[in-house]
Amino acid sequence: MSLLTEEVAAPTIEGEPLLAVRDLTVRFGEVVANDSVNFEVRAGEVHALLGENGAGKSTLMKLIYGVNKPDSGELHFGGSPVRIDSPAAARRLGIGMVFQDLRLVPALTVAENVALALPLKGIRLDRAGLVRRIEEAADHFGLACDPSALVRHLSIGERQRVEILKVLMAGAKLVILDEPTSVLAPQEVDALFAGLRQLRARGLSVVIITHKLHEARAIADRVSVLRGGKMVLVAADPTAHDDRSLIEAMVGRTVPALPATRPSPRAAATPALELHGVSANGDGGHLALQDVDLVIASGELVGVAGVSGNGQRELYEVALGLRELAGGRVVVAGTDLSGGGPRAAIEAGGVGIPEDPVADAVVPGLSVAEHMALADLKSVRRGFGIDWAKVRSRLAGLDEQTGLRMAGAGRKVADLSGGNIQRVILTRALGSDARLVVAAYPSRGLDVATTRRTQELLLERRAAGAGVLVISEDVDELLELSDRILVLHAGRVAGIVRPGEADRYDIGELMLQGAK
Amino acid sequence: MNLDAARLARGAGRLALAYAAALVLFGAFVVTKGANPIQMYGDMWRSTVLNGTSIGQVLVKASPLILAGLAVAVPAKAGLVNVGGEGQVIMGAVAAGGVALALDGTLPGGVMVVVMMLAAATAGGLWAGLAAVLRLTVRVNEAITTLLLNYVAIDLLLYLIYQPWKDKFGSGQPATRALAVAARLPLIGTSKVHAGFVIAVVATAVIFALLRWTSWGFRLRVVGGNAEAARRAGLPVSALLISAMVVGGALAGLGGMVHFAGAEFKLRPGMTLNFGYIAFLAAWLARHDPLKVAGAAVLLALIAIGGDSLQLDSGLPAAAVNVLMGLVLVAVMGRGQTTRRSPKVAGIPAVAS
Repeated sequence: MSLLTEEVAAPTIEGEPLLAVRDLTVRFGEVVANDSVNFEVRAGEVHALLGENGAGKSTLMKLIYGVNKPDSGELHFGGSPVRIDSPAAARRLGIGMVFQDLRLVPALTVAENVALALPLKGIRLDRAGLVRRIEEAADHFGLACDPSALVRHLSIGERQRVEILKVLMAGAKLVILDEPTSVLAPQEVDALFAGLRQLRARGLSVVIITHKLHEARAIADRVSVLRGGKMVLVAADPTAHDDRSLIEAMVGRTVPALPATRPSPRAAATPALELHGVSANGDGGHLALQDVDLVIASGELVGVAGVSGNGQRELYEVALGLRELAGGRVVVAGTDLSGGGPRAAIEAGGVGIPEDPVADAVVPGLSVAEHMALADLKSVRRGFGIDWAKVRSRLAGLDEQTGLRMAGAGRKVADLSGGNIQRVILTRALGSDARLVVAAYPSRGLDVATTRRTQELLLERRAAGAGVLVISEDVDELLELSDRILVLHAGRVAGIVRPGEADRYDIGELMLQGAK
Repeated sequence: MNLDAARLARGAGRLALAYAAALVLFGAFVVTKGANPIQMYGDMWRSTVLNGTSIGQVLVKASPLILAGLAVAVPAKAGLVNVGGEGQVIMGAVAAGGVALALDGTLPGGVMVVVMMLAAATAGGLWAGLAAVLRLTVRVNEAITTLLLNYVAIDLLLYLIYQPWKDKFGSGQPATRALAVAARLPLIGTSKVHAGFVIAVVATAVIFALLRWTSWGFRLRVVGGNAEAARRAGLPVSALLISAMVVGGALAGLGGMVHFAGAEFKLRPGMTLNFGYIAFLAAWLARHDPLKVAGAAVLLALIAIGGDSLQLDSGLPAAAVNVLMGLVLVAVMGRGQTTRRSPKVAGIPAVAS
């Protein structure tokens, strides 16, 4: 039943690779993003590509998918040299890609989005036929979805499922998946991997970019590791390497473990967050959160697990006064928010790390320093203006304290990558002395070392007496960090478990079936 | 640093090319009308830039344009589209005219000017603020409401001129009684330029400073850049949107007063000469940067005054100048920019590699 135990003997397919990348070099200005990279994928194999943020994984995959152009080097597909000038050309060859930032049209239904990727016959859209085909494919690949649902009502995890399905249905021979498991429940990961194994059994090829080493080992026939634009491990047998050696290959050094002994929560102090019978509507108008009761003590870290779209977003938002309640009360550090909105939550000492920082936290045209000022305008005001010298000195202090290596103070956020935007948001939230930290997927898009540093910072906030709520789809991360784990199912609390008394699969059970 | 200089130089080069393209296209248009384009540009140049009187005319015309252009730029910082400059200019002129009629002779001239300015700014601000309130309460787009309110303002102006405020002793086109000489905007020194130009320049500097250096300006940029991020940071988004619109409307209202008390002296039909719309173009040409807005307003005023020479010297129809203005606008706005990576839009921040 476990993805670790279900591992089947990897088929060994010798002979001509389906895709071969030879001595490929790409420069962006002065930066060599890919330095004489060699890479190959055989027909009927699952190949995992590991590497840090900025190691050149996405650059390489975008080369194969025709988004980037190489400065030198060759691509071979199906045995003959090819030039892939555009994603359309890649798709014609039979290369499909599921991007991490998903490419779906939010205003359309799942079926309509799939139709966009398929060659249309005639002018009329055969909706019934399409829906049937999607349902068949969804069943076939183990990716449940509702073809008539509007994409904008779906969570990121659900959208990703649709995206994978779309590429599979467009008939790709080689599917590139950019971190596909980052938003899935353990059982769903199993289902996805089962689907990938079916693809493999039919001779199709899969490239999977992932951070999770046990997953790479579970699904991949071979694994390659990029570091600093160079291939440091080429097409190796994953079972021959343990986590430690793979991480060292990726990072170039070892990553310390999290502290095992931690101070106990301060039960006597005012709780950092109290939810009493909280209900709230989702964006679609349905009841997305129902009768949630939760008290987070000062100095306690509570994790939230759940298949995405089961009320996590709404929980995040009600805790910080961002969403109107349909019922119940939210109290932050002793202050009842009672309709006071985000302002009341901020004044009570709440800070957030949102699920989607680009949409909800950053202003593209503003600089890093300006984002720091935005978090705490009152304290940096001087007359009618803003004391930018104070902002900058505070920022330097925060950067030092958190050690997240934020981009320069004057850089515009529009010019930063997703990972660097996340560093700005993390530095801002985790450097503050907030009473309550609500973090949604805090390590998404981050490299191994920064992820570990973020986790340490969350524990530091906890040790300093803050209540911390961490929403994550990485159950392993939650098990490592949390004092308690709350599992959401269909907007209700399916259960609250303690790490040590429950494992990944117990939590997965609650995530999928709800309370029994 | 070098990169920035190169980018700047490229930008300037593109801008020059855009203006040149507009002039060449208009030259071609002029040829089809049987005039000599080189001769025509020469006449335009001589009759405006090289002619002291015309320079004065340009600055007089530019004054309300600058103010009305800022009226577009300030809301634009907050992400709002104010197409209602025309109506706000009219309401400013109406308020100034109404004050002048009501208080005629009771106040010294200087005080009267100040009262008219306050009334005009208030009227323009309220007119624009109405659109902001409608957006926030019943969720109608402010671009639509500001545009429609222009027509309401025009009809209100006409009603006042034809009915209650009509000068009974006037002849010809209906209009209000002329503004008392003492209450008119004084001329600057010995020039033909009235103090309205000074008001416009001061307003430009004040708006530049407000947007650049105050916390209000900063928060407007946050709201304009990402309203959801602003809400989540605890900013009073509604109040900021209304304030941006009210300040914009007040500036346009001031523009109406300047035109009334500096150039027209009477309320009459068609008195605003499409200032609001031309200023809208000026603001977009300048990408809502206050200093550039002022520059663009002067440029458009120059083209408009130069248009007289088109009629007199080259025998072209009066509307020809609108063709030139349109070409400049399309060329400058369509000139493209230094490409810049757009921020990731969808949910998951992409791994940078």
